[in-house]
Amino acid sequence: MNGMNHDISIRIDGHSVPARPGESVLDVARRAGAHVPTLCHDPRLEPAAVCRSCLVEIEGQARLQPACSFQASPGLVVRTDSPRVRKHRQVLASLYMADHRLADGLPQRSPAGSSLRGFAKAAGPLIQLHPVHSPRAGRPGDHNPYIGFDPGLCILCARCTRYCDQVHGAGAIALAERGRATTVSTNGGAGLLHSSCELCGGCVDTCPTGAMFDKKPSHHLPGQLRRVRTTCGFCGVGCQLDLNVKGGRVIKVTAPAPGQTINDGNLCVKGRFAYDFIHHQDRLTQPMLRDGDGRLRPSTWPRALERVATGLKRVQERWGSGALGFVSSSRCTSEENYLLQKLARAVFGTNNCHQCAAT
Amino acid sequence: MERKNATREQVLLLLEQAGELSPALVRQVERQTGVPEAEIWGTARFYSLLSERSAALLLCRGLTCKLAGSRQLAAHLEQRGEPYRSVSCLGQCDRAPVALDQDLLVRHGRARGAVSPDDPDLPINLAGQDDASFAALHRARQLGPSAVLDTIEASGLQGRGGAGFPAHAKWRAVRAQASPLRHVVCNADEGEPGTFKDREIALRRPYRLIEGLAIAAWTVGAGTIHIFVRGEFPRVRAGLEQAIAAVGEALSGLDFRFVAGHGAYICGEETALIQAMEGRRGTPRIKPPFPTQVGLHGQPTLVHNVETLACLPSILLRGGEWFRAQGRTEPGSKLYCVTGHVHRPGVYELPLGVTLDDLVDQAGGYVGSPRAFCPGGASSGFLPMSMRDRPLDFQGLARIGSMLGSAGVVVMNDTVNMAQAALQQSIFFEDESCGQCAPCRIGTQVLRQALARFLAEGSPGALNGLDSVSWEMEQASLCGLGMVASRPYTSARRYFPGDFQPASSPEVS
Amino acid sequence: MLGAGAMTNSVTEIRDTDLLFVIGSNTTEAHPVIAMEMKRAVRRGARLIVADPRAIWLTRIADMHMQLAPGTDVWLLNAMARVIITEGLVDSAFIQAHTSRFDAVVQAVAEYTLDRAEQVTGVPAADIRRAARSYATTSKAGIYYTLGVTEHSHGTDNVYALANLVLMTGHLGRRGAGLNPLRGQNNVQGANDAGASPVFFPGYQRVDDPEPRSRFERAWGVDLPAEPGLNLNAMFRALARRDIKGLFVMGEDPAMSEANASAVERALRACEFLVVQDIFPSLTSRHAHVVLPAACFAEKDGVFTNTDRRVQLVRKAVEPPGQARADWEILCDLARAAGYPMPHYSGPAQIYAEMAALAPRFAGISHGRIQREGGLQWPCPSPDHPGTPTLHVGGPINGRAEFKVVHYRPSAELPDGDYPLVLSTGRTLFHYNAGSQTRRDPGTVAKQPESFVQVHPDDAGPMGLTDGQRVRVISRRGAVDARLVLSRQVLPGCTWMPLHFAEASANKLTNDAGDTVTGTAEYKVCAVRIEPTPPT
Repeated sequence: MNGMNHDISIRIDGHSVPARPGESVLDVARRAGAHVPTLCHDPRLEPAAVCRSCLVEIEGQARLQPACSFQASPGLVVRTDSPRVRKHRQVLASLYMADHRLADGLPQRSPAGSSLRGFAKAAGPLIQLHPVHSPRAGRPGDHNPYIGFDPGLCILCARCTRYCDQVHGAGAIALAERGRATTVSTNGGAGLLHSSCELCGGCVDTCPTGAMFDKKPSHHLPGQLRRVRTTCGFCGVGCQLDLNVKGGRVIKVTAPAPGQTINDGNLCVKGRFAYDFIHHQDRLTQPMLRDGDGRLRPSTWPRALERVATGLKRVQERWGSGALGFVSSSRCTSEENYLLQKLARAVFGTNNCHQCAAT
Repeated sequence: MERKNATREQVLLLLEQAGELSPALVRQVERQTGVPEAEIWGTARFYSLLSERSAALLLCRGLTCKLAGSRQLAAHLEQRGEPYRSVSCLGQCDRAPVALDQDLLVRHGRARGAVSPDDPDLPINLAGQDDASFAALHRARQLGPSAVLDTIEASGLQGRGGAGFPAHAKWRAVRAQASPLRHVVCNADEGEPGTFKDREIALRRPYRLIEGLAIAAWTVGAGTIHIFVRGEFPRVRAGLEQAIAAVGEALSGLDFRFVAGHGAYICGEETALIQAMEGRRGTPRIKPPFPTQVGLHGQPTLVHNVETLACLPSILLRGGEWFRAQGRTEPGSKLYCVTGHVHRPGVYELPLGVTLDDLVDQAGGYVGSPRAFCPGGASSGFLPMSMRDRPLDFQGLARIGSMLGSAGVVVMNDTVNMAQAALQQSIFFEDESCGQCAPCRIGTQVLRQALARFLAEGSPGALNGLDSVSWEMEQASLCGLGMVASRPYTSARRYFPGDFQPASSPEVS
Repeated sequence: MLGAGAMTNSVTEIRDTDLLFVIGSNTTEAHPVIAMEMKRAVRRGARLIVADPRAIWLTRIADMHMQLAPGTDVWLLNAMARVIITEGLVDSAFIQAHTSRFDAVVQAVAEYTLDRAEQVTGVPAADIRRAARSYATTSKAGIYYTLGVTEHSHGTDNVYALANLVLMTGHLGRRGAGLNPLRGQNNVQGANDAGASPVFFPGYQRVDDPEPRSRFERAWGVDLPAEPGLNLNAMFRALARRDIKGLFVMGEDPAMSEANASAVERALRACEFLVVQDIFPSLTSRHAHVVLPAACFAEKDGVFTNTDRRVQLVRKAVEPPGQARADWEILCDLARAAGYPMPHYSGPAQIYAEMAALAPRFAGISHGRIQREGGLQWPCPSPDHPGTPTLHVGGPINGRAEFKVVHYRPSAELPDGDYPLVLSTGRTLFHYNAGSQTRRDPGTVAKQPESFVQVHPDDAGPMGLTDGQRVRVISRRGAVDARLVLSRQVLPGCTWMPLHFAEASANKLTNDAGDTVTGTAEYKVCAVRIEPTPPT
């Protein structure tokens, strides 16, 4: 509302709710605490109104209307929980289940991936319909190591394709075919490595069913999955991301929900997928000292620190503080940079201290 | 994301001209237009004429062709070793059963259907001599836009594409928009099974249509006139192009552009049609906003059916009141197509609101003992013969859960099993659902499968849940196709419950 | 010149900006998520003007692409300034209220006529004029630049020329309007903030200014040197001269990432005492006397400050491998081993508190606050200050901003008969810096397995070089092998290589001529020739 003087009010389930003209009924309803389920909605995308899960009753409208695209206007009367709306949700969920056969065992592949199951559960007892077999084509020959597509779980909400176009601008995937055969496709069904896909994985995070999934092996590790919110360690944008940790390893990276952080739920290929280095076998795991024959050999921390301290002191004593240089790192934390310059200045008496990326 | 100044509207044309669809072709079109390749691929694959090009004949599997023996035609083709592909209705129902060759010309089919005899007092008068005097256009210019609008309003002209929306209201809505760039679009994407009247207008009275377009464009202040012709009607387009070229000077100042359809029934829906014109997948848009506000390229657009436009010249020349008086229960005359079990299938221009029996009288009477009819193509569902005295008009039929639609009347006699007929229509809707919204995409499949299973197994249990599914399709689909796609089933079940008992009667021929 | 080496605006403002002037920034590859905001702005109807020697991805959706010859930025920008001045598009009220020395710039740019600008830069005069008019007449106009502006021997001049445009149009201190360097590294801003600089203590307080120095001396309990130290470029020159004998390198691989890397590596090899603290073995660690294993970002707590001055938390998710330890722990122990009584910090939160107490710009920031409120943008002088999304609201933070006269100076090394092509280097989307992280992941490697050099077909043709061929790229300083990619992204006469591939390290070729102010090397322009790789 922001105290704007154009505020209007609409009625939602009998309560008067303030709104801005042109705001979607969905946004107003959710602010008012009404439960309006959505599947194809993503605040970053233009409304598509294709999943039909958010249909509500609007007085004066003969048909149910999509809350995601219907705009608030003064005096609008909305019902989000009428018998008609409830019946609609029940039958719609039954239709989805007939096409997608999402049993309770659906793997929870992405944070949004359980939306369809949640929708179906909330919709009440489902009507048992014979399953249909939509001939949606997948991309069995797609060998990219990051992003998978399981057409059996797809509900054609087009969040992935709209994300790819509207947010990332890559336009690597689009809806193809028609009717029951409609699917998500690249040009000619080529693998993503051979498309304009930049492997950002936004399609995975926005998918409400898990049809778009993270292909990286998640190692069946013991323990509870923990999500640790942190800041991406690559470029300077400062994207917030969630390290998914299990059994002491980072097994996946996911984006926080849209609207919460600077990156608005977006990540790039590096932030989302390039985390194998964390547990890579090439990591340095022990201090090493160069010995008399010029080879680096493993050592202990006390010996290594002693060697560093005396080595630097020796240079300082023999050649002066100006003969020392300290290269700090724009990859390390601010606290570590603070300590390094403190080390250079306070301990070794030199301002020859600069971070690696002085630009 | 498309390139700056991308020429998306070129996509379908370039694909059409290039031949066989391939990823390499798509990349080439991406370079030419600046539209991402996946979107080009996905768009091409939406349209059957672009995605499936082969030398095979196209064999119509519409209801009328089934009634007329498309199965025998198929057997005949197989015998002769002519490869064929079964496709949705080809809009040649008067010539049923029909097969087209790869140039989309009729290879197998009967003679073209009849039309009403020449009568200068008929507003459209298909059998009359077409004239290119443009007297009505001159008259409109004399009257001025405001008087033209009043005349149209007085005529009571309703959109003849199916919805029956008052024409003058659309015109006024377009005129009320601030944008100086406006469009008039002629919807000649006639595709409703049982309907072929627009085809006949364009072939027989092209100047009626062209003059109607000119009047509409001049009145609403549109600079460009787009004629969207069904892809399966190459002769219609050629005829109109010739007609426009032939009069040259008389139409100077008007910018006529042709856009070809590429094989998708849904593009008859006005927003899907606009999508197709912009080079996109023909998926209907959310309304509002309506095309009169946000249409082609985001600009105000008046979309009218061919027949609606063809009514305009006589309205202008003979007055709104005169046109209104041509109707029986609603204003004006109406072109009714009639096919199926009648003796002389064809297009008959009759007062709006005649009964089935009046219409079939014109068409030479019933073949056999009539049992059921569709008043307006597949979308209208089925009505029993007890409704034979009902006026065939927009509002009356809507009140009983049917519709006049495009007035493609299909008559079925007592040899027809209505569960089988419902399945036939369900196949059509399943094939032609755009797939965008779930109720329609999944619902059409559920319906078709259940009907097929019922007919195969004879167990009514196969139909469990269909009432709810039909309700949901009608309530929750995004566009009109999904809303009506369950009607063949619900109406057949309602009016012909016997055909949904166990141990059903034999299949339709 | 504006009083803060940082973005004046927030990343979240980009979507509401009406004109984006992107210069020397391949944003979609170097800052992909910021590029998403730019794309969103363009979808909304914002105009996008790109100035770049290469036809980068953003040019596909741009209104204009000014494809200038590498290193001619000052010509382009001064010519734009001249258009804005001569056409009376300046914001006189802003100039009068908030700036000084405008007259000097008016005089200086007078000679930068459009015709001559076209000759030097290769950008049509009409485009320069159109860009200048668009920029000057759009209120919410933001400039975005990256290393394509700064990594020149005249990088500071380029920035000054941009700032002159900002000041003369008054496009500052409003949502969407400002001057925005997009910082390349996750914490390049934070490292500067924290005083990893030869000139500044934490919080941009000069080491040669007695007031802050005495404050730091009191806090740290020692006397501190008053003379500014050597910048990185100068440090490696000193190392090569043997003036520096002992070098401590944390989280950096200068043998790979410094310009003229071969010379750097020679100097490192000769270094009397070299310590490397890192997460992976590197070209540099090969020469170290001591190698200390460090924790990566997922294994420690702390903060990173991003490109829009936003201080955000880094949280420990997993344990470091083996005996590896967080850099901050190592540094504390090292200080104590060297005899300094470094406090026994309970963790990074306490270290940050010590820094914030000494640096007024960050005084209101603490781990606790970020934990509760999310990222905080400095300046944030007190615990109840909400942070500063947009800088210079109501005028430059340092009071009056001074216009700077800049004149064109050619790049330090220009092509000649022996080395006829210009080489620029840069980043790609799929890899990061030295590649130590991204070249250990299957997808990024699959997308981009090896180094390459982009060459214009007009240049490759006469040399008999074909697409996909292995070639040797040779400069005065070294030679590397790479795959040749025929590309019209580059101008004729220009080539481009990524910097991520150790086995084809582009920095063996680049010129270490440093900017006169920052010492930043000229990664964007050096002279090379290209030959087929000889058969082995």
